[in-house]
Amino acid sequence: MSALVSNILTQVFITLIAVAGVYVLTGLTGMFSLGQAAFMAIGAYASGLLVVRLHMNFALAVVLSVLMAVAVGYLIGYPVVRLRRDYISLVTLGFGEAIGALLNRMTFLTGGASGLTGVPRRVGLPLACISAVAAIGLVAFFKTSKYGRQCIALRGDELAAKAMGINVIRVKMTAFLLSVALTAYSGALYVFYMSYVDPTGFGWKKSADWVIMVFFGGVNSLTGSTLGAFILSALPQMLRGLQNYRYVVYAVLVLLILNFKPSGLLGEWELTPGNVKRSIGRLTEGRRRKEEK
Amino acid sequence: MALLEVKNIHKSFGGVKAIQDFSIEADAGEIHGIIGPNGAGKTTIFNTISGVYTADSGEVYLNGTQITKLEQYKITRLGMGRTFQNIRLFQGLTVQENVMCAFDPQSRYTVLGGLLPTPKRLAEEKRGKELCEKYLEIVGMKDYLKERPENLSYGMQRRIEIARALMCEPKTLLLDEPAAGLNPTEVGELTELIRRVSKQIGFAILLIEHRLELVMSISDLIHVQNFGKTIAVGTPDEVRQNQEVIEAYLGKED
Amino acid sequence: MSLQIILNGIATGSVYALIATGFALIFNVLKFSNFSHGATMTACAFISYFLVADKGLGLFPTLLAAGAAGAVVALFGEFVGFRRILKNHSSATYFFVSSITLGTLYEGLVTIRVGSNFFNFPSFFNKPTIGIGSLVISTTDVMMFIISVAVLLVLAFVIQNTRLGRALRAVSFDRDTAQLMGINSTRMIQSAFVISGVLAGIAGVFLGIKYTLYPSLGSLVVKGFIASVIGGLGSLPGAIAGAFLLGILETVLLSLLGSGYSTIATFAVMLLFLLIRPQGIAGSNVQEKA
Repeated sequence: MSALVSNILTQVFITLIAVAGVYVLTGLTGMFSLGQAAFMAIGAYASGLLVVRLHMNFALAVVLSVLMAVAVGYLIGYPVVRLRRDYISLVTLGFGEAIGALLNRMTFLTGGASGLTGVPRRVGLPLACISAVAAIGLVAFFKTSKYGRQCIALRGDELAAKAMGINVIRVKMTAFLLSVALTAYSGALYVFYMSYVDPTGFGWKKSADWVIMVFFGGVNSLTGSTLGAFILSALPQMLRGLQNYRYVVYAVLVLLILNFKPSGLLGEWELTPGNVKRSIGRLTEGRRRKEEK
Repeated sequence: MALLEVKNIHKSFGGVKAIQDFSIEADAGEIHGIIGPNGAGKTTIFNTISGVYTADSGEVYLNGTQITKLEQYKITRLGMGRTFQNIRLFQGLTVQENVMCAFDPQSRYTVLGGLLPTPKRLAEEKRGKELCEKYLEIVGMKDYLKERPENLSYGMQRRIEIARALMCEPKTLLLDEPAAGLNPTEVGELTELIRRVSKQIGFAILLIEHRLELVMSISDLIHVQNFGKTIAVGTPDEVRQNQEVIEAYLGKED
Repeated sequence: MSLQIILNGIATGSVYALIATGFALIFNVLKFSNFSHGATMTACAFISYFLVADKGLGLFPTLLAAGAAGAVVALFGEFVGFRRILKNHSSATYFFVSSITLGTLYEGLVTIRVGSNFFNFPSFFNKPTIGIGSLVISTTDVMMFIISVAVLLVLAFVIQNTRLGRALRAVSFDRDTAQLMGINSTRMIQSAFVISGVLAGIAGVFLGIKYTLYPSLGSLVVKGFIASVIGGLGSLPGAIAGAFLLGILETVLLSLLGSGYSTIATFAVMLLFLLIRPQGIAGSNVQEKA
């Protein structure tokens, strides 16, 4: 495998973890965060700083950074899970921009605009790949658990959900914190792969990009969201040769999907043993019929 | 003390007095019908009892516990089940998952079980599925577990909603116009179903309904509402004879 | 806190007000936050820069060209990004996602033309500042304030007193019923986009003058978003009030805390405001019906 392909894949896998988090938040629960990328920044900076400044063990630093992000997520989640849709976007947006500004200003700690350098490289393609698979696996289990069901229920009808005894605020908070943990973890992997991080690139546009990926692949399907994230995060990298045209290509593709296949590439289809068996069955059935003709 | 006790509740929205001094006492096995013209505040009564709104004054007791100011989901967990006028099943979930949603708040596994198939999770899910099948069987919808409710008929959706409400293990069941939109055969089946669960499970049922043949045939007691006020309470026969009720429904002859 | 700072804040607020009203107009008719508004501003500012300002034709032709470009771009956006979604009866989130994608598209197109370079509008005034007593106000600020106020007054007149305005309000209130009453709601949605596009064009030029012109200038759309949310979503007067409030708040905090920390303080104030008055300045509290 060439170094270029390996590089692209590693970054794509790291993105997949964050998008799995966005799937939990937006796909399952129907909340929009325009500040999600800030949690990636928190994960990256916290784990990087713990290793660089305190010479902490890599694994421990990653775990601690995720916990720190979750703690911050709990604070910001308090208003978020109680507000209506557009207000959630606003609060998370403001939060994200504030974190960006903070990272820029606290030069003594973060290196300011020139970024945090000298982070040892501890992450390669294998770890990124295993992490992505594990993250997606956890989210898949989450989706079919009581939590996932309650998320989908309250996404459609909060009042009816409450009438069934669902503690809407608590379930939303659980989903929010899970997505924060995943995003922060992807941030930690990011900094130990790039061995460098600066405050740019964690703004609301990054968060919006993740939401677009989820919708592109299928907002009601984890498999679809993952596929969407894979395609859309690999695309700009593979289209490097096209330079400035790549974002236009990207936008046109997404607009086509939104207009002509609003449920996303895969709709609600999930990659489960049962569904695969059914699809194969349908395929062989079709072939048999053709042969009979 | 009765299973459900509502004492003199009032509720206003701005200048509109939606409920004025409503009281009810309902015990296990009883069916109470609430009737009245559109806009009489019937659904508001349900919303206030079940915690969507908080009463301006008055008290509500469920099984002896004061629930007047509790949050909606807590009231449900104490034993309040309900259905909605305009069926509100959850989109994107199968029939089974819809009913399971009412079990999930009682399901005893933690976030760890939410992320991994722990033994506790498997056991609880199994327990939930069994209960779910039990209630779907009662309403006669057991063969539709994996279907999406939106692909089923209106009458079937009503039944699923009742099964979902039963899954809350209610001590009081609020049915908001369960016969709306059903054809005569379905109304017959529904009447039979309500009677059956009332006997079999043994809880208090409050029933809002415009189909008088249904309410009159199964209610033990009928409360007639008009413009937020209770204008009559009595057995179906008493209510049928009541002059004020006839006027409220048919208008006054001058 | 000097009067000077407040004046600067009002000037900034007047530009935010243009953005916020354009934003709120679309929220009114389609009930979503139109994030393509930002890139529309950038695109229009660049179009008028190359077509008019670059040729030394002065301020008003530049604004006119930008407004016209805005109308065209917004109509295009409505057709490409929102028409079909509306027809599919998809949820508001689809509009939102589509609008962000449209923004990416516009920004991408602008980048193809100009790279990631910075451009400066020629200075439109001979005298850069005006002195009133001890106060020094930049001529551009005064100009921006006057023009913004004039534009907003015209808009208010149109919305309140014309057939178009009444129809727009009807469609905003209830699209289906308006349609039944014989109002062509598609035409009204287009009109809303045209108006919002014109506002975007003018705001784009102002932002270009104030902060130089570059492809990702449209990110400033978030100011309009913030202002319209604090104002009470969809309320035009609320959006304007929110915009001036935000402009003044930002300028004051900036002078007290410097850049960076002022962003954080702005966020904190905003959060506090939402907790105290979640329905916004003008909004009414809507309760879900059971």
